[in-house]
Amino acid sequence: MVLQVKKACKNFGGLSALSDVSFSINQGEIFGLIGPNGAGKTTMFNLITSMFTPTSGEIIFNEDNINGLKPHLITKKGICRTFQNIRLFPQMTAEENVMVGEHCRSKSGVFSSVFRTKSQRQEEERIRSKANELLEFVGLGGFAETVSDSLAYGQQRRLEIARALASSPKLLLLDEPAAGMNETETSELFRLIKRIQEQGITVLLIEHDMPLVMKLCDRIAVLNFGKKIAEGTPAEIQNNPDVIEAYLGSEEEDMYA
Amino acid sequence: MLAELINPYYLQVASFILINIILGVSIYITLSTGQLSLANAGFMGIGAYTSALLTLNFDLPIIVGIMAGTLLAGVFGILIGIPTLRLQGVYLAIVTLGFGEVIRVIFVNWESMTKGAVGLSGIPHMGRELLNTVKDLGFDPKVLGLQNNQFVFLAIFLILLAVTVSIIAFFRRQNRSRVGRAFAAIKLDEKAAESMGINITYYKVLAFAQGAMVAGFAGALFAHVLAYISPADFAYHRAVEILIFAVFGGSEVIWGPVFGALFLTVMPEVLRFISEYRYMIYGLIIIIMMAVRPQGLIDVNILNWVKLKTSKRRQKHGTSSQKSM
Ligand SMILES: Nc1ncnc2c1ncn2[C@@H]1O[C@H](COP(=O)(O)OP(=O)(O)OP(=O)(O)O)[C@@H](O)[C@H]1O
Ligand SMILES: [Mg+2]
Repeated sequence: MVLQVKKACKNFGGLSALSDVSFSINQGEIFGLIGPNGAGKTTMFNLITSMFTPTSGEIIFNEDNINGLKPHLITKKGICRTFQNIRLFPQMTAEENVMVGEHCRSKSGVFSSVFRTKSQRQEEERIRSKANELLEFVGLGGFAETVSDSLAYGQQRRLEIARALASSPKLLLLDEPAAGMNETETSELFRLIKRIQEQGITVLLIEHDMPLVMKLCDRIAVLNFGKKIAEGTPAEIQNNPDVIEAYLGSEEEDMYA
Repeated sequence: MLAELINPYYLQVASFILINIILGVSIYITLSTGQLSLANAGFMGIGAYTSALLTLNFDLPIIVGIMAGTLLAGVFGILIGIPTLRLQGVYLAIVTLGFGEVIRVIFVNWESMTKGAVGLSGIPHMGRELLNTVKDLGFDPKVLGLQNNQFVFLAIFLILLAVTVSIIAFFRRQNRSRVGRAFAAIKLDEKAAESMGINITYYKVLAFAQGAMVAGFAGALFAHVLAYISPADFAYHRAVEILIFAVFGGSEVIWGPVFGALFLTVMPEVLRFISEYRYMIYGLIIIIMMAVRPQGLIDVNILNWVKLKTSKRRQKHGTSSQKSM
């Protein structure tokens, strides 16, 4: 078991964004987290990465209770995420963005940097070449020197994935990676996530694109108004009456779109 | 011959330009993590008073005084940097400006130690101490055709030039490293930086302490170049002046505040009549820059343009022996 979420609750003032949500993710699987807008999916990511502290409940990563750990230490432990509303470092080049992602897997400090010690130069070299490999991996090979701000939307989404992969995560959290992508881009994304899985990285995926979720995920949990209403394989989820009800109840979503 | 070329007055102006450049770098460092600190005049005062008092009261060598002043300013940087971590933008600016005032008030009121508003005089002078040392070693500046005071001001200028260049080189290297990337990431998006595994507490306090140390260092140099300091030297005016270096020159790249300090220190010297209206002009600069060019004069684009021009020129020179098209 890579990740166990036990009875996680999160309240914002009077609003209960998550209540008593539990699920666990197995090593190597792609686990989908779906639900209508405002269901609490992104909030779950924020709890797992410690951006928010849970009102109650436990989050266990590889046997360790990670509640209350600082976000950067969670990344160091091996959980990294992308953001629903892209949060790249806009003025940095694609390469620099990915190099930042390698921060927690490198260690040069002020003095080795200023005096350019041998180990610092080797480390920089290693970071840079790994960054370029990752750009290649997500299909941004020719864009190392491009300022991330001027990349196309779909490219920015893939750059965020490369930046997250740079931290060598064991568990990768993707928050709506297909949002704003056209069909070709979405099918490229499908293959990319498959290749990430092949590298032994466990993936937790939030996504509104149902065909993509159903093709990609091994198992899925469904949230609605902060509660888990279903969990199971894509086939089970598609035929679950509660899930159909939840999706038909909201106007914007169409499960079979 | 050399004697006519070396004018102590110009050298002194040049020395103050260099000290201001160091102060410009000090605000830039803290800003490169997105923290606007106006405490650097206060840190400068801590550096100046520490070094002055140690050399005056305990006869310590100037270099020891300067190091102690720099370190103590750094300690205060950490002490201010930690509790203000959660403050952003204007709030941080106000709190740090307040800190500077507190420091000034302490200098004014701790009369037994600081001689109050009157200030400290007779601080060991860097150039003269050096002159005495070389004379003790049996070297006379006349060998170089220099009068004593020419030697003194030339020595100060060269020392300051060397330290200024070293400081700029230090931070340019730091910028292009893992530490510099962490600073930039925090400045651009603190939450994203944290999610990418950057310990933002550590780097923000580091930047604060480095800025404080550089300002304290500039203050200590100031004390031993002028030989006289008073609390007024480190007041609100100084804080604003340092801010203006960054606002006018820019704070995206290190050359911004360096240029700002250079230009704004030279201007009042060249155009004497301006210096009366100095603070009025500073006010105008802030308003105009905020309206027209909030990133300051020197930004990444200008820098790239300059690089392109110079590399083209170099190419031209390189091929000038061949037939030109
Ligand atoms: N920082 C916050 N402060 C207050 N309320 C919040 C905060 N973050 C989220 N919420 C609320 O919590 C609920 C769940 O939000 P969340 O962003 O987790 O939904 P989501 O499932 O990701 O939705 P979407 O599909 O639109 O991204 C919403 O009602 C939202 O308004
Ligand atoms: Mg969301």
